[in-house]
Amino acid sequence: MPISRPVKSKLSLLDKRILGCLQEDIAFVARPWKVASAKLNIKEDYLLKRIAFLKKQGIIRRISAIFSPGKINFISTLVAAKIAPQCIEKVAKRINLYPEVTHNYRRDAEYNLWFTLIARDVQRINQIISRIKQDKNIKKISQFPATRIFKINVKFPLKGL
Amino acid sequence: MLSKLDKDIISLISQDIPLVKEPFKDLSLKLGIKQEILLKRLKFYKNKNLLRKFCASLNHRKIGFRYNAMAVWNISDKLIAQAGRIVASFGQVSHCYQREKADGWNYNLYSMIHGRLKKDCLGLVREISGKINCQDYQVLFSSQEYKKTAVRY
Repeated sequence: MPISRPVKSKLSLLDKRILGCLQEDIAFVARPWKVASAKLNIKEDYLLKRIAFLKKQGIIRRISAIFSPGKINFISTLVAAKIAPQCIEKVAKRINLYPEVTHNYRRDAEYNLWFTLIARDVQRINQIISRIKQDKNIKKISQFPATRIFKINVKFPLKGL
Repeated sequence: MLSKLDKDIISLISQDIPLVKEPFKDLSLKLGIKQEILLKRLKFYKNKNLLRKFCASLNHRKIGFRYNAMAVWNISDKLIAQAGRIVASFGQVSHCYQREKADGWNYNLYSMIHGRLKKDCLGLVREISGKINCQDYQVLFSSQEYKKTAVRY
């Protein structure tokens, strides 16, 4: 089952509006929260308090810039491995030690571990994969680099929650 | 070409920014530059599409999207551009990529779908498969998240 459960108490209408707003770009001005709070029709201080609460609840993971790796001279790829189910957690934790691993999921299929790598160059990607491959519990490992991006737009509708 | 300063800025703002009234002031102090310079660079990255988004990342399970499906299809090279555009047009699809195949794995069109219910995800994949006229597909649900972090540049 997924590890974290939905928050028990329902989100208030205001919190949903805040989350909707924060999924868009923050303003590149000295006081971005003042701009956002004006849109939400609340006080800047109150918005900061709500964001702090939503972060504490783990609903907001972070507020940060998301770059297109390829456009700032980084290489990204998707890697999948076939691992004996009883060792998968152990192997996944070892893979996670590489800071270049950004996402890592168990998926119950032929390839049962899927992770993304973002590194400064192809050599580093290959080096990490060849090191990971040495683990005897990994039966097969394959790389699926993207050749074309059709869409990247992560936005969760919050209505009806 | 990115300068040393650009690299420092990108590395810093790719992590969680401080939750204060003037976050860019804090960040510019850390970088040892004027806030004005930092704001100008941000606008430059955005205009050049280096910066995709500067926003909050949500934990989708905590807001009710408990199911995360990766749906993959095997599409001929001739049809993949059109199929990719169709898949991308669905609001519930957050990511859609063409990827290289590997031996024993013929899927080349990938999408990520988030849903409140498993059947919502499966229903959507069936609908998409009909629209792109491809029944050679797999749906891989995540059963455990081992890592999900910001990139360290």
